Amino acid sequence: MRVAYHSPMPPSRSGIADYSALLLPALRERIEVVVAQEGSRAPRADVALYHIGNDPDAHGWILDALNERRGVVVLHDYVLHHLIAGTTIGRRNGRAYLDAMERELGVAGRLLGLGVLDNLLPLLWETQPERFPLSGVVLDRATGLIVHSGYVAERARAAGYDGPLWRIPHPAWPMTALEAAPDVSGDPLVGCFGFLNMNKRIPQLLEAFASFRQSNPGARLLLVGSAGERFDVGRRLERLGLTEGVQRMDYVPEERMWSLMAACDVLVNLRYPTMGETSGSVIRALALGKPLVVSDVGWFSELPDDAVLKVPVDDYEVTTLEAALALAAEHGASLGGAAHAYVEREHALPKVADAYVRALELAAGGDAVDDAVLWRIAEAAAEVGLTDTSRLARAASDAGIIR
Amino acid sequence: MRIAVCAPQVPFVRGGAELMADDLVAALRGRGHDVELVTIPFKWYPGTRVLDQAFLWRLVDLTESDGRPIDRVVATKFPAYAVRHPHKIAWVLHQFRQAYDYDRGGLGQFSESPEDRATRVAVERLDAVALGEARKVYATSRNVADRLRRFNAIDAEVLPHPPQALPYRTAESEGYVLSVNRLDRAKRIDLLIEAAKREPSLRVVITGEGPDRRRLESLAAELNGQVEFVGRVDDERLADLYARSLAVFYAPVDEDFGMVPYEAFLSGKPVVTTLDAGGPLEIVRDRETGVVVAPDAAEIARAAVYLGEHAAEARAWGGAGKAIAERVTWDACVDALLD
Repeated sequence: MRVAYHSPMPPSRSGIADYSALLLPALRERIEVVVAQEGSRAPRADVALYHIGNDPDAHGWILDALNERRGVVVLHDYVLHHLIAGTTIGRRNGRAYLDAMERELGVAGRLLGLGVLDNLLPLLWETQPERFPLSGVVLDRATGLIVHSGYVAERARAAGYDGPLWRIPHPAWPMTALEAAPDVSGDPLVGCFGFLNMNKRIPQLLEAFASFRQSNPGARLLLVGSAGERFDVGRRLERLGLTEGVQRMDYVPEERMWSLMAACDVLVNLRYPTMGETSGSVIRALALGKPLVVSDVGWFSELPDDAVLKVPVDDYEVTTLEAALALAAEHGASLGGAAHAYVEREHALPKVADAYVRALELAAGGDAVDDAVLWRIAEAAAEVGLTDTSRLARAASDAGIIR
Repeated sequence: MRIAVCAPQVPFVRGGAELMADDLVAALRGRGHDVELVTIPFKWYPGTRVLDQAFLWRLVDLTESDGRPIDRVVATKFPAYAVRHPHKIAWVLHQFRQAYDYDRGGLGQFSESPEDRATRVAVERLDAVALGEARKVYATSRNVADRLRRFNAIDAEVLPHPPQALPYRTAESEGYVLSVNRLDRAKRIDLLIEAAKREPSLRVVITGEGPDRRRLESLAAELNGQVEFVGRVDDERLADLYARSLAVFYAPVDEDFGMVPYEAFLSGKPVVTTLDAGGPLEIVRDRETGVVVAPDAAEIARAAVYLGEHAAEARAWGGAGKAIAERVTWDACVDALLD
């Protein structure tokens, strides 16, 4: 069986490119995979697989390919407003944006869209994308859907997607012997990795860390990742008197990131609002067996309670976060042990690759199998005068014989 | 208690699974239960037909019969365990191995076509439902239990069953190595014939019938009576052949369970098997109850010669095997199944 694989790939600096770089070799050990290239004709295959994320630069061409040929969609983000806006308004096709808004919210959606196009309303993908995910236009083209979380599965179903759906965990990177970076230190050293913006709750983290540092003067915070355009980390650090306690690094290569993470005592990965995404940084942290603090939202809420500390996003977020940092530092070994065991159990790469293969095999041939079995059941029933075979079909479906 | 024992049946083929189902019915009846063997013909090809066959079991209503409830169902094999019953016990001898460990190998059934691949996944999905809804899942060997764990994440308790009831006895060895098996390529009886070619002193007696007979006979043709094919034999003759043998050869590829080693042991004979034989290795232990060698004719020949030259050890290993086999009783099986 041959799969046409559509995804951003390295050197593209995206989490989904990293994801594919990890998954592809494992898939290729099991089935034939040909990677589609942007700008080239889609490869011939039994089934097409589309990795969809919210970045129009990385995923616009993949959405175009999906619109050309339906297939299995891996929905890495549930909120796709930015992707849809980029591939509609961004290409001077406002009408398609209005259609997507209408698909989501009916006439009210179309009117809101008109408000955006006429500059009467702020850009919805920047101000409140989570309220208007616009994933419906992608779901409509999916013959099968792969998601990483119950959170996204639930929303996809609520949006009316009724096709085959597989929940497959984000794969974990196989662990090799790692040397902790010698040039960073703290007592404890708290690390936060990834693109830095308001969504990552960096202001709340800085505030909580400043307070934590008053009782833990040796503590240091390592902030690694590019900062958002309108997010001035330096000014915030000055205002909180944190210039000494925080070390900033811009984007670092993969190897360096692993060694920096390995040097940390506690890792933090906060999020709000969530776009339904998983986080490669979280998977890395868990695989390393590091105590981890996350926001209690979306996919992050589904992580096991014994492996991560979850901070609700509410009025007490900063206070809870400060307490969580202290707890994580104190109970690092037990949290980290549970985290590592969880990743081994649920996110092992071979297990994830096997699940992908099962999903793709069903997506490619499942209809033909169901049709063949149902046809023979219906034919046998009809020969003895039974024309209503819905009960028989239900029984076959209940037993897992057909989907 | 009214109990339905559910087992598929391949018309005109009778082997260990059929014997086991009959013996289970007899054992349950022996304990005073009202027992019926329920069976449906099984044909697993071509393509998606295997799913139709499973579906037949799904449509069978065994909740009651003639207005009286059926209290329990014991299903032994794919696809019989697809049957629905509120108190279903699965005692798994075989899954549909073409969908699992045989897949993409010489014994596999499913090609790389999308329809075949999806059929394989459908079998896996059916097993998840059918075995997942059972009150309890037993496996006849550690090998079968391990596969259930590995492929389906189902925990099964190992519950071996006794072999067929023969008039087992032990007699002085007459020096031949006995093969008791269906003459099928997967049973690798050719390894034993090749061993006889290498070792002129080795005498072999082969019982059973099957599609591989002609090929095996032609392999043995040049051996001047060193290898004897006796065909299918009755119980008395089989017990006699066991009793007078030097050892019993049994080396299928990754067998689920294998009753032959139990039968050999009950006759006080050691077993020669191979490192890749699967289930038999749970009771055939090298130099304790038999000889375990690589699947190689020369090694098998050497093992047979060793046993011939060390009669006391051969007797002792057969005796140790007998002690193991005697612990597996129908009483224990029935106790577990009806617990």
